[in-house]
Amino acid sequence: MSSSRRKGGGIHAGERRFAFALTMPGLLVLFLTTTFPLLYLIWSSFQTINLAMPFLDGFAGVDNYVQMWGDARFWHAIRLTGIYTTTSVVLQVVIGLGLALLVMQIPAGQWVFRIVAILPIVLAPVVVGLFWRTVMLSPNFGLVDYLIQALGFEQVNWLGAPTPALISVIIIHTWQWTPFAFLVLLASLASLPVDVYEAARIDRANAFQRFWHITLPLLRPAIVIVVIIRSMIALSAFAAIFAATGGGPGTASEILNLYAFKTSFIELNFGYGSALAVSLLVITMVVSGVLFYLRTARHPGTKT
Amino acid sequence: MSPKGRVSLRGIRKEFGRFVALDDIDLDIEPVEFFALLGPSGSGKTTTLRLVAGLDTPDEGTLTVDGVDVTFAPPGERDVAMVFQNYALYPHMTVRDNIAFPLKMAKAPASSIDELVREAAAKVRIDHLLHRRPGQLSGGQQQRCALARAIVRKPKLFLLDEPLSNLDAQLRLETRVELKKLQRNLNVTAIYVTHDQEEAMTLADRMAIFLEGTIKQIGTPAEVFDHPNCVEVAAFIGSPPMNIIPAALNGRTLTIEGHSVALHRDPGHPPGPVIVGIRPGSLRIDPEGIPTQLYLQENMGETWLLNLKLGEMIVKMRVAHSERSAEGETVPISFAPGAIHLFDAETGLRVQVN
Ligand SMILES: Nc1ncnc2c1ncn2[C@@H]1O[C@H](COP(=O)(O)OP(=O)(O)O)[C@@H](O)[C@H]1O
Ligand SMILES: [Mg+2]
Repeated sequence: MSSSRRKGGGIHAGERRFAFALTMPGLLVLFLTTTFPLLYLIWSSFQTINLAMPFLDGFAGVDNYVQMWGDARFWHAIRLTGIYTTTSVVLQVVIGLGLALLVMQIPAGQWVFRIVAILPIVLAPVVVGLFWRTVMLSPNFGLVDYLIQALGFEQVNWLGAPTPALISVIIIHTWQWTPFAFLVLLASLASLPVDVYEAARIDRANAFQRFWHITLPLLRPAIVIVVIIRSMIALSAFAAIFAATGGGPGTASEILNLYAFKTSFIELNFGYGSALAVSLLVITMVVSGVLFYLRTARHPGTKT
Repeated sequence: MSPKGRVSLRGIRKEFGRFVALDDIDLDIEPVEFFALLGPSGSGKTTTLRLVAGLDTPDEGTLTVDGVDVTFAPPGERDVAMVFQNYALYPHMTVRDNIAFPLKMAKAPASSIDELVREAAAKVRIDHLLHRRPGQLSGGQQQRCALARAIVRKPKLFLLDEPLSNLDAQLRLETRVELKKLQRNLNVTAIYVTHDQEEAMTLADRMAIFLEGTIKQIGTPAEVFDHPNCVEVAAFIGSPPMNIIPAALNGRTLTIEGHSVALHRDPGHPPGPVIVGIRPGSLRIDPEGIPTQLYLQENMGETWLLNLKLGEMIVKMRVAHSERSAEGETVPISFAPGAIHLFDAETGLRVQVN
């Protein structure tokens, strides 16, 4: 028994070496395109690389991180990133679930909604940002302002005033990505077992109780997946905000990713920009780690 | 307190698009009765049960429970419990939570829930599995969990849709007995859907025979078995069902394939074609009888089933081991005149012979 296993292990080891050789080219490309830039990013975050003041370049140790710790604009960007991510993900899930529940009530023609829902997703984020900036939100000419004034409210400078600008970029992101949540949750809803709902009706659960005790728990895996995917994307959102507000006015909609970009490519301070990017990377990893942990954790509603 | 749970269906009709699933169903189910809806697949049994449960509403007719019209009442207002064919357990809840669910929805006090759940689980012997999820249970255990969930609230009506059909043969027999005992102990009206006539015969106090969306006969298992009121029921009940043989009747004389048999008395039917029904067990080998050819014989365990060629027809006959014969041999058969059933050839309705 043990000898035959050793023999089998020998063959197995040979196979493993061969398999490893086969995957080498792929691993190499993967290393060059992902791991290497990542390592380079981390390395440069410990350097002073400033194209505006090249005479200062050199190893900086943790100086960039120390500077970050005392940088009010950094903490402001973190706060905005948190607000932006949490609000837009919650809105996407809540609105997406609401729409999916509504569409499920329609006996025929659900495919129309599925197709309409795909449209915002397939648009390039820059196009989305510009579309909202011009057609929807521009003062006086934009659709939103037109509607608001027609209803007798005061004009709002949606992208030019600090709080409305943040609200606007959250709305834009939610508008573009709610369909994703909608589609995933609709597919998930459609796959729920019909007879379980009939059993619940016979057990005298009303519509709200059926939603609360049956639909939500059964949708939980799908909801968690949507939250994970959307949080990771929202944390590193860029193009639509850049096109709509550029992070402004001032820094009113400047989430961390924008701050890192501007520092590197507008202020040309690559060392500090890298440090900001690394901090975003760490935050994203921690958040997704926590979410994945919650996903695999036992259902809290079960007692034994 | 007089037992409750009298169900009446009057002129019930149900259509799915153009398809008439149920047509003019009249049915009265007495309190505490174990009532079976028996019929082949697609005959409208489940549809009827769903109407009683309130999961569907009829297109015509009325449904009353204890004299109250509930035709359009939602399921929650009917005080019914149902065991689904696929059990329909809540997959994300433990067995305990599954059983407790109807109690929680009925706002039972939390202190009593635990006790009631334990009691119901003990009745179907799954009290050691309360912490498991449905996915961690065998088919038989899931079935018991569904039963416990149904009985825990002590409903007025207990509806079961082919509850044993997903169990293996051995377990089905055991559970059948327990189900009957359970219903007796609970003292509750049960409506039981099945396509398995043996189940219906053994379990039911009375039963209704469904065929193609109509009820053909209502009665006790013995009544239906001994006096099928039409050819369709006769051809459905019994395993194998009775032989259906065309014949001619003239007064007391019955002519089958050119052979005449004298009946005990004149059934009073006008002379002409009739249909004779004879159970395989009512036939016997008789040197004076009608000659047939042995076509095939099947071993049924305790008995043998001979497939006999009578003219162009195959007639089935149940015999003891000792009466087996070789295939191709001539087997003369006869029957006691009192053991046959007669049906009108036109209407298919029963003609009383004895
Ligand atoms: N929701 C439905 N839509 C269309 N046809 C249905 C529906 N439910 C049942 N039927 C049809 O009605 C007939 C009776 O069905 P059912 O009551 O389920 O039969 P069974 O006696 O096997 O339980 C079948 O022919 C079935 O195809
Ligand atoms: Mg059925």
